Amino acid sequence: MSNPVTQYRARQSRRAWAVGGALLLALTVTAAWRITLGEWAIPLPRVIYLLSPWLSGTERTPAEALVVRAVRLPRLLSAGGAGGLLSVAGAVLQGLLSNPLAEPYTLGIAAGAAFGGALGLLFSSLMVTPAAFAGALAALAIVSLIACRSGGTVRGGGAQLVLAGVVANAVLSAGVTFLKAIADDKLGAIVLWLMGSLSGAGMSSAAAVWGASLLVLVPALACAPLLDALSLGEGQGALLGVDEGRVRTLLLLTTSLGIAAVVSAFGIIGFVGLVVPHLLRMSVGPSHRTLLPLSFLAGGCLLSVADGVAQSMGELPVGVLTALIGGPFFCWLLVRRGGRK
Amino acid sequence: MNGFGFRLRGLTSGYGARTILKGIDADIPAGVLTSLIGPNGSGKSTLLRALAGLQPYGGTLNLTGGEGEREVRRISRREFALLAGVVPQGFHPAYPFSVWEVIGMGRLPYRGLLGGRATEEDDARIVAAARRVGVEKLLPRPITALSGGEAQRVLLACVLAQDPPVFLLDEPTSALDPNQAARVFALLRELAEEGRTVVAVVHDINASLAFSGHYLALREGTLLSQGPMDELNGDVLQALYGTPFLPYRSERGDVMWRALAE
Repeated sequence: MSNPVTQYRARQSRRAWAVGGALLLALTVTAAWRITLGEWAIPLPRVIYLLSPWLSGTERTPAEALVVRAVRLPRLLSAGGAGGLLSVAGAVLQGLLSNPLAEPYTLGIAAGAAFGGALGLLFSSLMVTPAAFAGALAALAIVSLIACRSGGTVRGGGAQLVLAGVVANAVLSAGVTFLKAIADDKLGAIVLWLMGSLSGAGMSSAAAVWGASLLVLVPALACAPLLDALSLGEGQGALLGVDEGRVRTLLLLTTSLGIAAVVSAFGIIGFVGLVVPHLLRMSVGPSHRTLLPLSFLAGGCLLSVADGVAQSMGELPVGVLTALIGGPFFCWLLVRRGGRK
Repeated sequence: MNGFGFRLRGLTSGYGARTILKGIDADIPAGVLTSLIGPNGSGKSTLLRALAGLQPYGGTLNLTGGEGEREVRRISRREFALLAGVVPQGFHPAYPFSVWEVIGMGRLPYRGLLGGRATEEDDARIVAAARRVGVEKLLPRPITALSGGEAQRVLLACVLAQDPPVFLLDEPTSALDPNQAARVFALLRELAEEGRTVVAVVHDINASLAFSGHYLALREGTLLSQGPMDELNGDVLQALYGTPFLPYRSERGDVMWRALAE
């Protein structure tokens, strides 16, 4: 006797594997494109040879080897890691708050990290990351507080939460402008950093982003079924025995830290965390055990492609490109949600 | 099953500075379907939320039975989910989980601290719960595509999969047609007959007369009366709702009540 639920479960997992396979393929093609093409085309076999760890010291120095190892590879890894992290962070926030419009950018967390980071930069470049993290947490706390006080709840607080995010974004952007106005000789550094570009990515920033990715992905994936229950909203998580406070605190901390890591390395890259989980939910469903790893793959792929396009358009900041595409998508999402009610 | 009940003494609760429940002394018996009745805004839902441990409260609110009396607020969410299942009023999920996934979440309290993986037994219980509520045809559908009444029944199936000794329901039939409402009431009575404690906020006096064994009548945050269902009479109803009630007999000979507009 076969249980229909077991069949549905198997069908769902087959579909997730198929989508995951397609994403891996897309990621491979993107990686091959990004690492071989550019101002200087280098054939793939040559790239693979140049990337091999057994390359002798003298062979590492020619310009060709430098371009691949010190410029293209870190940039590819950074784009992949940052895109993956932002998507997973978006998916986690949307689940925790039971609000499909939650995202590092819309909630003002990214703006908080930017403000904190810019403030830190005024004092020392070493202060950027810790100050960005503090800024991200503070923005999240303020937005949640406003949402609660204005009659909404943090979970399922729909309009209030997004409105509070809008306000936080506006205030914090003004704050960043203020910092720029008083920055004097550091103005250039702040502007360049906040533009949201991967053009300066090095191996150390790639490593930082990948470390932060693990920090966001691993705990979220470990409690994926709890996240499912929380994402039902309306206190369902607590009724199903989930310690909402503890799970929410842990995951908000890790995602804020991850977002701050991306912002402090590359500036604000918005909307990736909104678009990717939403599109994936339409194809593999909202279960976080599949949604989170697939979000990581898809986000990495999307930001790598966007970065490639941005670079080919004369080194446009990739944050500009994601906002140009993501903004209209966000509107479409709002309209579609409104239309259903 | 060793039944669980509730003992309330001087129970107060509210939202912020607004007090809703103004000191309630009541006993909710084990193994019985208890109806919470009263006019709109009388505090029924707040009382149910307090019983579910979702609402801060003052006074005494103890779960009785099992290993003796325990304060509701001192029971962890995880343990409480094994003792009581709750069907809230209205359910508007943001994400398109399949119905089988939603019902499956009722098994969460039985799995590891991090939610673990579903077993064959879990899947069997999902199907059994869906059958009992009559939603097995909806299993592959996304919950967001269902009507309010269907979603409400799916949530009831979720609590059946949770299989707790106590069921707490806030207007479980508010979105259901008369046929489905009668089936849900019959199911609740069945659950009580199995020895479970069922507490439901109910507006349909005649349905609660037909199916429940005990009532708590709330008015303006205080307990107007409580007792076995057959003690509910026209005087109580008039005091409760502020309008006279007329008795009549159904075709089966049961006494029923009809409100008269003044």
